[in-house]
Amino acid sequence: MVEIGRWVLLAYRLPREPSAPRLAIWRKLKGLGVAQLGDGLVALPLDSRNREQLEWLADEAIEAGGQASIWISKPATHAQERDLAATLQGEIVSQYRAVAAEARAAAADGRRRHRRTLARLRRELGRIRRRDYFPPPEREEAKRAVEALAERLGEVAA
Amino acid sequence: MRWATRSGIHVDRTACAWLIRRFIDPEAEFVFVDDPDEVPKDATPFDMRGVELGHHGGECSFEAALRRYRLDDPVLWDIARIVHEADLEDERYDAPEARGLDVLLRGLSMIRDDQELLRLTGPLYDGLYEYRKRATMLGREPS
Repeated sequence: MVEIGRWVLLAYRLPREPSAPRLAIWRKLKGLGVAQLGDGLVALPLDSRNREQLEWLADEAIEAGGQASIWISKPATHAQERDLAATLQGEIVSQYRAVAAEARAAAADGRRRHRRTLARLRRELGRIRRRDYFPPPEREEAKRAVEALAERLGEVAA
Repeated sequence: MRWATRSGIHVDRTACAWLIRRFIDPEAEFVFVDDPDEVPKDATPFDMRGVELGHHGGECSFEAALRRYRLDDPVLWDIARIVHEADLEDERYDAPEARGLDVLLRGLSMIRDDQELLRLTGPLYDGLYEYRKRATMLGREPS
């Protein structure tokens, strides 16, 4: 039987105003690819990097006049963990698909100015991969689509 | 002086330790703890939650140390840009070196303990400092 994984949770509360720190924290949480468990409660699979990033965000919330705490926890059932993983994966899948679609469109168009698109999509792919905790098949597809764009642009330049 | 930080050190903590030993306290001794309560009374904590030499206002501990000790050497601030991106990946700075530094340190931390990591990363940051110093003087990447 697969062991249920441990997760690191950030519970936080921020004053409604000013909204800038709220927005900054929300953006960083999105960048980390957190699962939203509830209002002001987010989770990431436990590893030292994720724990550290959430701990710094907890401090950021406190410095902004809010409250925050960090918890290490386990979903009570396998089903619950599967749901959590599926939710996170679902988000990531659509992000990979968007990259793949844009890469294909740029390759079909094939103009040289898409070298910039290529650089941007490679960076975007890197960002998504760093928050991809349950890699779906779309990960490889997106990578192939971006590589195909690189090849296509190589042809254009030649 | 004694300095304390969380065990399992990575880019921000190795860079801070190097900075402390080179520019703040040549006699620095480092202690690694698992819990903030374990920080010895006589030690200055860094890169831990809720301390002065920690993350503040979206900046990493290396940047906090530069501010706290008024180190305005532009080469150190240039290194801070790389450490910041390797640690936080928030794209505040354009620092393509950051990815490579992050991977090298992650790999090293898999095969060496914290004290050994400090010993090994000392010359690495010395070299990075020298490289960025020459780049600053030349106005381009040195070969």
